[in-house]
Amino acid sequence: MAEIAQALKLLADFEVNCVVVGGVAAGARGSTQATFDVDVCYARDQRNLVQVTQALRSVNATLRGAPKNIPFILDEETLQRGLNFTFDTDIGSIDLLGEVRGVGGYAECLQNSNEMELFGYPFRVLSLRELIASKRAAGRKKDLVVLPELEAILEYETACKSNSSGIDDKI
Amino acid sequence: MDKVIYTEREMSLIDPKPGTAAAAARDFGIDLSLTVSNLRLTPEQRVKRLDGFQAEIKELRRAVNSSKRNGRDRASSEATR
Repeated sequence: MAEIAQALKLLADFEVNCVVVGGVAAGARGSTQATFDVDVCYARDQRNLVQVTQALRSVNATLRGAPKNIPFILDEETLQRGLNFTFDTDIGSIDLLGEVRGVGGYAECLQNSNEMELFGYPFRVLSLRELIASKRAAGRKKDLVVLPELEAILEYETACKSNSSGIDDKI
Repeated sequence: MDKVIYTEREMSLIDPKPGTAAAAARDFGIDLSLTVSNLRLTPEQRVKRLDGFQAEIKELRRAVNSSKRNGRDRASSEATR
């Protein structure tokens, strides 16, 4: 099993409430661009912070890109004090976002997501419109290069949806 | 090899009308025939494909790094000979 599968399975096994965003969401929505980490927007209630902490500890998560001499204790309190975290783990890179630029926090992401089955588990995946908004707001080169394809897919999906009435599905 | 038959809707991505987002993507350099083939899959199949692709790239990187290391080691041992 490769890294995306392992990361998603980990989050599902620990019952972490999250919405899949970023490159994996773009891939699920039809983008052909590669991604090397799993980004999720996570709920910040106490129960979920406990689940996130346990999940990350089980794969020896460490802060990615932080100097090794900076002490980091992975617990609910630390997660509560911060917002967005990038981790290296035994199973690859996992980014936890308390807030997605251009979209908002977990509640907004959840509201603008669909359920999709990924590797046998049900996941909420950010909608194409909000993915585009998030990529545009992030504004980094790696985000901007995926925009033309996502916009073409949105145009295609919108045209398909307008031809099939009665389907309540966020694009 | 079988010829791929595209639906009318898929053709809007393969051969987009000027001024559309698809035309902009094509002009940007995106091969939208790959996008169409991806859109024919279920979301789960798409992410599995992405996962496999990611694993292949990481394997390739490992192989390149290992080859570079071996090359350096060989060069260094030849220099000390």
